[in-house]
Amino acid sequence: MTLAARLLSLGRSVGFAVVLLVILLAVNLILSPGRFQPGSWGALVGLAAPLIGAAIASTPVILAGRGGIDISVGPLMGFVNAFAIQVLFLGAGISSPLVLVPATLLVGALVGAANGFLATVVRIQPIVATLGTYLILTGVTLTILPAPIGPAPAWLKALSGPLSLLPLAAMFIAWWLVRRTPYYDQLMAVGSDDRAAYTAGVDVTRVRFIAYVMTGIFSGCAGLMLTALIGSADPNIGPTYTLIAIAAVALGGVSLAGGRGGVAGAAIGAIDIFLLQSVLTTFNVSTFVLQIAYGAILVLAVMLTALQERFAMRGR
Amino acid sequence: MADHTAPGLAARDLVIAPGASAITQTIAPGEIVGLAGLDGHGQELFLKMLAGLASPLGGSIEFGAPGASRKITGFRKAVASGIAYLPRDRRANGIFPTQSVLDNFAVSTLSRDTRLGLISPAARKARYDIYREKLSIVAPRPDAPITTLSGGNQQKVLLARALALEPAILLLNDPTRGVDVATRHVLYDVFRGLAAEGMGLVILSSEIEEILLLCQRVLVFRENEVAAEIADERLTADSVIAAMFGRAA
Repeated sequence: MTLAARLLSLGRSVGFAVVLLVILLAVNLILSPGRFQPGSWGALVGLAAPLIGAAIASTPVILAGRGGIDISVGPLMGFVNAFAIQVLFLGAGISSPLVLVPATLLVGALVGAANGFLATVVRIQPIVATLGTYLILTGVTLTILPAPIGPAPAWLKALSGPLSLLPLAAMFIAWWLVRRTPYYDQLMAVGSDDRAAYTAGVDVTRVRFIAYVMTGIFSGCAGLMLTALIGSADPNIGPTYTLIAIAAVALGGVSLAGGRGGVAGAAIGAIDIFLLQSVLTTFNVSTFVLQIAYGAILVLAVMLTALQERFAMRGR
Repeated sequence: MADHTAPGLAARDLVIAPGASAITQTIAPGEIVGLAGLDGHGQELFLKMLAGLASPLGGSIEFGAPGASRKITGFRKAVASGIAYLPRDRRANGIFPTQSVLDNFAVSTLSRDTRLGLISPAARKARYDIYREKLSIVAPRPDAPITTLSGGNQQKVLLARALALEPAILLLNDPTRGVDVATRHVLYDVFRGLAAEGMGLVILSSEIEEILLLCQRVLVFRENEVAAEIADERLTADSVIAAMFGRAA
């Protein structure tokens, strides 16, 4: 594929989100030029990073299709946040990134594997299985960390500004590598049509299971980004990311039916939501209005994606 | 009658429905065997059991030379043993509508294009080009969505997917359904060519003309049993139709 064709196909799949991105960016630049001056872009990226991470994390299971969804992404980020600070840093006195990073990613992978086991082997509906994990993780997090506590290790806090691009880049590179493996084609095939994938000799259960593990690992990474941003541990922030992340994924042109889209779209969707948030805060609207805006955006995004798909079909 | 001790894909005392009598058949390398019958009389079930997609009620499916054969107990085992299956309903069970022609072709044989664990697009494209030529697939670009292709060409891509496994036995479930006449004749030539190269083919078809044109031997199913096995010069439209409706030819 040439670069132009690649950009074109990316544009087709995320189309609406990119247009919205440009509009929102322009509106933000006009409304609050001070906040959006080049010097503060680093800080802005830092603010948006956990949401982008959560959106990327939510993507693999949604791509795997047949109702695949992981609503425990947010609570898992919260749990990783509490675990890293309360248990590892303050409890065991470990501050080295060489221990903290692998440990949190491992926690993410384990929770992802548990979700994957419930959703693909036991075959509980994904939304029910991950709702169970959602509640368990929320409870466990509050048990080990009843109230916010700090601080975070210095190196982690340093990742909050421009350097938050580092974990984001790591996630993108990881996904880029996945895209180059045979697994990616199997994932998209399973998401596109799981019966056809089975008849083509794809191990559907294994492919979906690995998608949950990937989501878990990415959630662990997003949890670290959240920790970097707030510079402490807070048991109540994580769960709020779940639904916004799913809205971002839908906005980014990832089909909730599976097999269409990618993490680039999800990331753009997340940036859209962040910019929208930013526009509404300049108007000093309440957080309740923000919630209404998220909901409206989600419905609109899904509708527009469906329309876009219909037009694409008619064009053929 | 075929020689039941030859190497190939063998059904031994296979029972496909409760109360039906057992079927013992061997598909030898290089032969094209047709499966005929009125819809729902067991021929599709038989084909799926050969592919490992349905489990038999009795008997077994074995593959290989006598004495060194392995039992086919599941679909994955069948694929690993060199048995490829082309499903019937390509829209429901075959194509991935959101994926490109190339991805649709490669999904069964992904690991063959890897260099150090990563996919090499060039290797995949080269592998696809071999089959594109062989099956004369008409596609604008390999990275175009498969839904941009005509039905016949989609079917060719699915056949290319199965052939890419380099199977010893190819099981075809109504391969020319909804395919235009010109494409059909291309496919017939391909099937004959494959048989000449030593592949064993089993073709389930709802069209008797197709079976008469391609097959040396036909199994006619009626009520989940092989009602008649017709071969060579006795193979005529009349004899097949008579067997399908349960009349003596």
